[in-house]
Amino acid sequence: MPTYILQRLGMMLLTLWAIVTLTFFLMHAVPGGPFVSEKMLAPEIQAALNAKYGLDQPIWAQYITYLKGILTLDLGPSFKYPGVSVNKMIADGLPVTMRTGLLAVIAVVALGVPLGIIAALNRNKWPDTTVMLIATIGVAIPSYVIATVMLYVFALRLGWVPTFGLDNWRGYILPVFALSGFWVSFVARLTRSSLLETFEQDYMTTARAKGLRPGQVLFKHGLRNSLVPVVTVLGPVVANLITGSFVIEQIFALPGIGRQFVLSITNRDYTAIMGITIFYAAALMVMILIVDLLYAVLDPRIKLSEASA
Amino acid sequence: MSDISPNMWEKLPQDEAVAVKSAPSLTYWQDARRRLWANKPAVVSIGFIILLILGAIFGPFFSPYSYSDQNLKLANIPPAFDTYAVTDGEGNTTRFFLNASNFNLYEVDASGHVLGIMRGERKDMLKKQQPFEIAGQAITLDYAKLPARILSADGTELRTSGWSWNMTYLFGTDQLGRDVLVRQLFGARISLTVAFVATLVNFFIGIFYGGIAGYMGGKTDAIMMRIVEIISTVPLTLYVVLLMVVFDSGLLSIIIAIGSVFWVDMARIVRGQILSLKQQDYVAAARTMGASTPRILTRHLLPNAIGPIIITLTMLIPSAIFIESFMSFIGLGVTPPLASWGTLTSEAVETLRAYPHQLFFPAAAISLTMFAFNFLGDGLRDALDPRFRK
Amino acid sequence: MSAPVLSVRDLKTSFFSQRGEVQAVRGVSFDVHPGEILGIVGESGSGKSITCMSILRLLKSTGRIMGGSANFDGQDLMALDQGDLRDIRGNKIGMIFQDPMTSLNPTLSVGEQVMETILRHRKATRAEARARAIELFELVRIPSAAERLKSYPHEFSGGMRQRVMIAIALACDPKLLIADEPTTALDVTIQRQILLLLKDLQKRLGMAVILITHDLGVIAEVTDRIVVMYGGLVMETGPVHDLFATPKHPYTQGLLASVPDLRDDTHRRLTPIPGSPPDMAHPPEGCPFTARCPHAMQQCQAALPPVFGEGQGARCWLHHPDAPKVAGVNEVAA
Repeated sequence: MPTYILQRLGMMLLTLWAIVTLTFFLMHAVPGGPFVSEKMLAPEIQAALNAKYGLDQPIWAQYITYLKGILTLDLGPSFKYPGVSVNKMIADGLPVTMRTGLLAVIAVVALGVPLGIIAALNRNKWPDTTVMLIATIGVAIPSYVIATVMLYVFALRLGWVPTFGLDNWRGYILPVFALSGFWVSFVARLTRSSLLETFEQDYMTTARAKGLRPGQVLFKHGLRNSLVPVVTVLGPVVANLITGSFVIEQIFALPGIGRQFVLSITNRDYTAIMGITIFYAAALMVMILIVDLLYAVLDPRIKLSEASA
Repeated sequence: MSDISPNMWEKLPQDEAVAVKSAPSLTYWQDARRRLWANKPAVVSIGFIILLILGAIFGPFFSPYSYSDQNLKLANIPPAFDTYAVTDGEGNTTRFFLNASNFNLYEVDASGHVLGIMRGERKDMLKKQQPFEIAGQAITLDYAKLPARILSADGTELRTSGWSWNMTYLFGTDQLGRDVLVRQLFGARISLTVAFVATLVNFFIGIFYGGIAGYMGGKTDAIMMRIVEIISTVPLTLYVVLLMVVFDSGLLSIIIAIGSVFWVDMARIVRGQILSLKQQDYVAAARTMGASTPRILTRHLLPNAIGPIIITLTMLIPSAIFIESFMSFIGLGVTPPLASWGTLTSEAVETLRAYPHQLFFPAAAISLTMFAFNFLGDGLRDALDPRFRK
Repeated sequence: MSAPVLSVRDLKTSFFSQRGEVQAVRGVSFDVHPGEILGIVGESGSGKSITCMSILRLLKSTGRIMGGSANFDGQDLMALDQGDLRDIRGNKIGMIFQDPMTSLNPTLSVGEQVMETILRHRKATRAEARARAIELFELVRIPSAAERLKSYPHEFSGGMRQRVMIAIALACDPKLLIADEPTTALDVTIQRQILLLLKDLQKRLGMAVILITHDLGVIAEVTDRIVVMYGGLVMETGPVHDLFATPKHPYTQGLLASVPDLRDDTHRRLTPIPGSPPDMAHPPEGCPFTARCPHAMQQCQAALPPVFGEGQGARCWLHHPDAPKVAGVNEVAA
């Protein structure tokens, strides 16, 4: 087990390096420097700025400097806001993004899985039809559409929740709902189909042949097995909740990392774009590692001693 | 028991006896088609998608407006309105409606065609009123208290005489006075083009990559799959965002960005299919008969892997539509005045407070399309997946 | 003979799919007596497995029991409510399935899977259940039983897994054990071991066993009586010796002619039965074997024959008193 985790961490570092490199060279392939858009700048000031941010050096030297910075967990200064580091930008946005993201993950698990179970147990009856209809709506309608419609109905029309800000718990309702809507639906559908498939398994018949009660059959034998695929998608779910937060944070004007990211894009703040991308990738890989470990706990067939695909 | 007539003990002719009555057997594709046609939501979805494609291609030709024609005088007009009618001394009726959000009056005819904005006299900023002379009568627009009211000459509130669809702009106009309907159709054109082309690009990359990995097997396969693994640990939306930052917004950029990123699933599925099919006897048979590698790939392996590939493809289209609209929504998609469903939605969000109806059309269009592709994908999966065949 | 342990009468089971009703079992009757091994043979699709799943009402969601009764211990299993039926499953009637690879839950240790049966039906502490599980593992000859309780199914070979399944089925000393093709999925060498183990356990524990198989060799070796099924019906029943010596139904004859017999040194040709079993979505009106029967008559196509004969009964018109004589079937060769 420890060797497995070490191996995985090694893979992660390699992947992260690849991402850092790719991101770095992508950002430096952008035609023109970061200060081109500001026409007001006199050539000498621009040269001074370039020198300040090390942009006058050859690209490989910049790359080495950047890598060194990454190793000391320093993502460099923002190009747009003098004196503000990318680290600080992320640190400022992190609490908001974490809180909404965590709540959304909880919503996905706490709503998606039970809804899927209800649907599977009542296959082709009205609870199933209802859940599947809602889930299909949730999967089909893009999160930003859900978010804006809800914003209009519940905040502007009915005034039940604030249109922006997270001053109290009500402020979280819409962003979390909009953020998790797709994945609640997705997980509900997945849980349902996975459970239905598990119901057809021979060992479920064995469990019934033992005379176990329906509850025992469902929870001890059925659910655990059908949750394996659900757990596998949780990694990507977290990733998508993160990227989904770009838009949601934008619409609800939440001061999170996602909004910061979109802002950096509009501002063409390249160090910030790079830094946040790398931060996202790293956070995501840690999540996937956690999910894989969880997966092994659920399914003893997965051996952690070898790094399998 | 003794009432069995003796001729019943005659032997049956052998060949007749062997002719077993059995249900007609269906080929894989016949069976799949039958299942697909039996799936009502999928059939409705196919119809919707075909209509949408036809509308996107030919719709704009039938419109008197182009997607970029601006008419600022007729901005933010709704698709339906309550009309007021004022009659002058000679019995000529002037009809108009009030845009409650920008306090403008627009003249319309009896059937609902918008004739133009009505010129009023100077606004009284203090009393928040604006006098108009309509059909020889002094009419006052009073917006001191919301909602705004129309007052007739004697100071009483004028009642609406009915309501009418907007016959000039069926879906209304946006904040720059562009026809929403033609922009919708144009948006469909862009969104579908991006989705189809990007899906096609992904499809070819995926088939190529997965096909090679699966067919070669061994070390090549291991390395290629490791690369896929690395790619899949990164949120692909991030890549698209980065690529869009590099390329700068535009139709071609977004096609390249989406097209070059989402082939990973396809590659995995193709590889998996090929690996499992490689074990099968008919491939070995083809090989012993001296078939070449490309021939085995295209003639034997791909036709059998086609089911899961079609399903993945159908699922890829809505994700491409979604990513495109998502990018356009955060300002990284196509550039104005080009419209896609994403830009239309984000434009509508800007005017959400004043004109919430503008959100309806792009939101409905993208949601219905996503629905249709999802239902179609589900239907195809049920129809093509052998595991569901009983 | 003493009163039967299980007495199945006119059992009918159908499956419902988009294509309509498939009549898998169309009125099956047989008895199982205490301490005997009853073999049920038939080709795949003959309805033998469905019959046994129907007895404990373990059909999958698309299956439905359409009629009949199954008397066990003075109760009709078909009429019992779910709760009472659950008290019988795994307790008074144990069951073993065809594929030990898929019949055990991959995510639970084998010990847990044995113990949960005991804990369900017996008033026992976990320690007692564990002790009983070790006892059972020793009974089915799993080496180092105590340690292997903690293992997961994937750490066992197929034969060992089937032993675990047998241990589970025997956990509560059942009166009746239903074994649904217990050796089909195993290696040939392992098949014999498992079969002999079953036979041995049956003798030691004195229970009745229903052994379902399509392998006539298995039947000949361990069973006392045989039920031959075809097209969802019982074609012939009788004591194993009589049935092998003088098969009365053309289908049974065909079945016996199609398997090699090592003791037979006459080098006779193996003759497969031509054709394929009937489509049970559209079962024939008459005898289901008509289409493949070498002696088929007009009457066979017209009506389903009743069972003729006591002790060794055959569902064939040739055993009707008026039927013409056919050598080898209803006329013993001189």
